[in-house]
Amino acid sequence: MTTVLRLKDASFTYAGATGPALSALSLEVRRGEVVALAGVPGSGTSTLLLVAGGYAPRLVGGAITGERELSAHQPAIVFATPWTQLTGLCHTVFAEVAFGPASHGLERERIRAIVLRQLHRLGVPHLEGRDPATLSGGELQRVIVASALALEPDLLLLDDPAAELDPAAADDLYDLLKDVAADGAAVLVATPDTARAARAATRAIMLDAGRIVADGTPAEVFA
Amino acid sequence: MSGLEVRWDGVSHRYDGEDVVRDVTLHIAPGESVALLGPNGAGKTTLTRMLMGLVRPRAGAVHVGDWDVATRRPDQMAARVGYAFQHADQQLFARTVRGDVGFGPRRLGRGDAGVDDVLAELGLEGAAERHPYDLPAPVRKLVTLAGVFAMQPAVLMLDEPTAGFDRGLRARVVEAVRRRNAGGVTVIVVSHDLEFVATVARREVTLERGRVVKQGSGVGDQGPGS
Amino acid sequence: MIGFRPGTSPLHRAHPYTPLAVAGALLCLVFAARTPSAVGALVLAALALPLVGGVLGLVARPALMLSLPTWILLLVLHGILGPDPHHALGPIAVSEPGLARALVLGGRITAILFAFLSVLATVSPARLVEAMTERGVPFSATYLLVSTLTLVPRMRARAAQILEAQQCRGLRLGGSPIARVAALGPLVLPLVLGALAEVDEQVLALDTRGVAKGIRRTAMEPPPDSAPDWTVRWLCLIVVVAAWGDRMLGALQ
Repeated sequence: MTTVLRLKDASFTYAGATGPALSALSLEVRRGEVVALAGVPGSGTSTLLLVAGGYAPRLVGGAITGERELSAHQPAIVFATPWTQLTGLCHTVFAEVAFGPASHGLERERIRAIVLRQLHRLGVPHLEGRDPATLSGGELQRVIVASALALEPDLLLLDDPAAELDPAAADDLYDLLKDVAADGAAVLVATPDTARAARAATRAIMLDAGRIVADGTPAEVFA
Repeated sequence: MSGLEVRWDGVSHRYDGEDVVRDVTLHIAPGESVALLGPNGAGKTTLTRMLMGLVRPRAGAVHVGDWDVATRRPDQMAARVGYAFQHADQQLFARTVRGDVGFGPRRLGRGDAGVDDVLAELGLEGAAERHPYDLPAPVRKLVTLAGVFAMQPAVLMLDEPTAGFDRGLRARVVEAVRRRNAGGVTVIVVSHDLEFVATVARREVTLERGRVVKQGSGVGDQGPGS
Repeated sequence: MIGFRPGTSPLHRAHPYTPLAVAGALLCLVFAARTPSAVGALVLAALALPLVGGVLGLVARPALMLSLPTWILLLVLHGILGPDPHHALGPIAVSEPGLARALVLGGRITAILFAFLSVLATVSPARLVEAMTERGVPFSATYLLVSTLTLVPRMRARAAQILEAQQCRGLRLGGSPIARVAALGPLVLPLVLGALAEVDEQVLALDTRGVAKGIRRTAMEPPPDSAPDWTVRWLCLIVVVAAWGDRMLGALQ
């Protein structure tokens, strides 16, 4: 099955909100795609990520209508605020990245291999023994992305994943997203950095007030 | 409000047994706009915290205008330096955006006079009566920046002011900073956003491992600084 | 207050369950003890914990500060206002049985404080998580315990950041009582509001890392459990059972 996400006329309203955050959205995302989501704050990009991963309404409350088919076995999400995604239970970066696969009961050696691979991919193997609480914003963001990738997701959702990164590291991250998609995952990345996203993405979607107003190639949508 | 000179003279600092700032001397003229660049851990944040007296250097002196920072408390420095923290939304506490933005000016005895102007300038007038925690994170960050601008400082010290902002919000911040710099306010930014830096800063100072390694303007490098 | 301080003492190196067992045993024993001398011996035993852990300097002040108000209350309520016989101690008439009661109750508080503050300072939350994970303790229970243990240091760190931010907005600390009360809002409100927002974030953070019900988590680095460790824990259990058994038998006779 190549489709990992299918939405048809899906609307989502947060609890206590006066209007929907997403309105009658229809969308299909397949493995191998890198989809860039753009829109002003409040346009629904972050909400779409939560809905796409099955985290809304399950964890954040609210109500969803329309059709939603989540075929991803393992979604993973990276928020725009990496410091809020630390488990608070791990005193080394290694343990932090291992947390996800450890929660799935994988064997120790397999987890070790996964963690080291992801730390290398994000260019932070030297942070292995560091306390996550002492990392800079950029280091933390890369560790959180590594943590998400350690789950070996088939749907990777990222909300402004390079916000804290310096330009070189941001370029590396977007190149990595291309690799992740090439390995067979679907990638949805919400970002204000449309220039960088355009280089990595195979597809771009523009949201406005919870609706899709453009869906095409990055060149078409971000023109 | 016109700007003040900012001087770090031979400052050094250690943290956890490590030298984070090594004998840095840096002068910023009144009304100048300077970007502090460098990788994480280069000492940029430590230098800026010295301006407010949040960190006292182990050696050397820091001056803002004629004030020796060593003789002032952070709340006193607030009268001259508007410091915008990177993760600033931890400071929001008022019931409305207007109330929170007005907090700093009221502390400084300036009342609410300029608050509505700043809100309008940053496009926050529609959110003025809303609770800050009801707003999305980028807008909350904009609210804290508004709070700093509303204090009308002679020196603006902004730490990653555009992180998490899209083009629209970034443009508002750029305009607000440029307007103040044009009015003579001294501007110091720490930022990885090179586009923002190029637009706002006339001089770039690069730090690495606690030392100034390069200084340059947009026109070309001027070689190693002191 | 207290949070974990890394170290290499026997308490730091022990299996996390061991210091917890010792503190728990002391808690049970102080309630089995009924005389000032018995409680006094347990207070000394409790003092051994921070000494062995190398954290006496860290623990002593908060333990004494926290127990002081209770001591004062007990000495007045029981020591002075207690039943006869009273003996003159300088200008004060002290109740003999009342004083004994105050010493027992106050000693209990002091012993418990020393024991548990020492545990907080020497048991690494990360190692405790691993130890509990290895034993198959459900994640929810693990998380609840460890979050509670780390709550104070986390809040302190947050409070320090908020304090700096508000000072940079012109908030002056100190001053008149009215000024101090007025300063509470900008300091406490962001702490509380931020902490509440953080709860929502933590739920999301943990769930998005695959915390799944019903799957036994893998402990990556379970702390070693040595013979001295489980010997000490068994001894704790035996001593507690013996002490309470003795007390029950004494009550029956």
